Amino acid sequence: MDAVLIIQMIMAAVLAAVIYSIIGIAPGTDETAVLAPVTLVLVLTGMEPVVILSFFISGIVAKKLADSVPVAVAGIPGGVMSTPMVEHALVLKKHGLPDISIQKMASGSVIGTLIAVPVSLVLANALIPFSDMIKDYANPLFFFGAVFLALMTKNKILALVSIIPFALLIQGLRHLYWGVGVVPEGTNVFISFFLGITIGPVILTLFELLNKEKRTALQRYGKKNITFNNKKRFKGIPNPFKILTKKEIGTTSLASLIGSFTFIMSPVGITIFLGELFSSRIKDPVKKASRAISSMDGLTNAAYISGTLIPLIALGIPLSPMAIGPANALFNAPPVFTLEHNMHHILSSADFVVATLIGSIVALVITYFIIVKFSGQICAFIFTKIPHEAMLGLFFGLVLLLAFMDAGWINIGGVLLIGLVAGVLHRWGINYGVQFMVLYSAPWIIAKIVG
Amino acid sequence: MEKSSNSKLEEKEQNNIEVWEDLVSIKDLVLALFICSFTTLAGYFIAPNEPPKPLFFGLIGALIGFGICSYFIKPKRTIQHDEREE
Repeated sequence: MDAVLIIQMIMAAVLAAVIYSIIGIAPGTDETAVLAPVTLVLVLTGMEPVVILSFFISGIVAKKLADSVPVAVAGIPGGVMSTPMVEHALVLKKHGLPDISIQKMASGSVIGTLIAVPVSLVLANALIPFSDMIKDYANPLFFFGAVFLALMTKNKILALVSIIPFALLIQGLRHLYWGVGVVPEGTNVFISFFLGITIGPVILTLFELLNKEKRTALQRYGKKNITFNNKKRFKGIPNPFKILTKKEIGTTSLASLIGSFTFIMSPVGITIFLGELFSSRIKDPVKKASRAISSMDGLTNAAYISGTLIPLIALGIPLSPMAIGPANALFNAPPVFTLEHNMHHILSSADFVVATLIGSIVALVITYFIIVKFSGQICAFIFTKIPHEAMLGLFFGLVLLLAFMDAGWINIGGVLLIGLVAGVLHRWGINYGVQFMVLYSAPWIIAKIVG
Repeated sequence: MEKSSNSKLEEKEQNNIEVWEDLVSIKDLVLALFICSFTTLAGYFIAPNEPPKPLFFGLIGALIGFGICSYFIKPKRTIQHDEREE
């Protein structure tokens, strides 16, 4: 690896840390929706895979660090993964300690990262001997993944019944595109369908705005009232090992370790379960809340990193909620990456280690210090300057672009259709995991049905 | 999170809706979608036709659209500072 490449990796990591610190703080940003399109575009530009990996790792670490900020100062989750922490952060906010809450969460993230990186690298290498066996069964595994995740949802039967119609929709469009000749036969349109699923909930809402009855019936709001306290400033250089108590470091480390091992499960589920488990016996509400948020934050960070790195290094197929969602572009972004030729096949072990270290260290250094020291100011800036409309517009624009590139104008209609159906399924509680697994296994499912 | 129905707010106009966990005005949202779609696709089409330039230009177009929207559209949030000393 030469110096030019290392400098490029550092620059990419710095860029990701800055972008995802801002996006992380903005409320309501879904991890998959904000990470997947940008990573996809970078992969398609043909950038060096190691550079993209360090960008991605820095992005997830920064995003995780930053999305604790709105939780602490305003009780608003900065992303899906920070939702379980809101309850505990509100306890600290009620006691007038939002700054403590940020410091504890950000420090938890640091510990989560420090633990997850080595553990994931070791675990991935331990899994490599089994990878050939697993790879042979990739297609049925995705199908069973869809069934397994469907059984984890609230409406199990509804989720199970939706699998085949949704697979039909996906394959139906692909065959249509082959039939009219916009895509060469045998080439599976993937990226834009993936993004259609991701922004499905937004597309569904947009369609509903065109329906007069729905539009008038929608609940209307004034402005979102956000109260926060930002007068305190952290003095000196923040050190996570001093900010957290010994016990907090202990439970955060343990939670992060478990989070790394359970990379195949839903990170939100594990976070809620372990966070409650580790804090339930503490009486003092402030101590209990600090213990819960530090360990939850460490765990989510660890689950992110391990969920990306382990399948990427060991298997090369996206078999974890993290890998099939936000990190998808690292596995499958045709024509650059396919399941037979992606980062897993291209990068050496040393590449993985260097890219991960550069990405995580750059993000920790930049984002951790800035967030602990200036959380109030940054938060006020983003809340008052960045409209939610602009964020939605940005992602909509990227989806449109990638839809057009995949299969021309006709595919914009196709992506809207996928988004519409995916949005309805999402609203019924059939989560992204199930839908992405179906997207992967659709060709296999249809082939099996036809026999 | 969604307790926007206190008396102070009800006096003001209530024409924002919730999309993806935050509030937007329908008019501004439509405007933002048009602006960003236009700048993104414009970037893509004016780029020299040699990959990966169209993608880079598209991405830059998207960011320009984001910038324009952030400049012209006001966020639907009000910030109140909590002055408690504890």
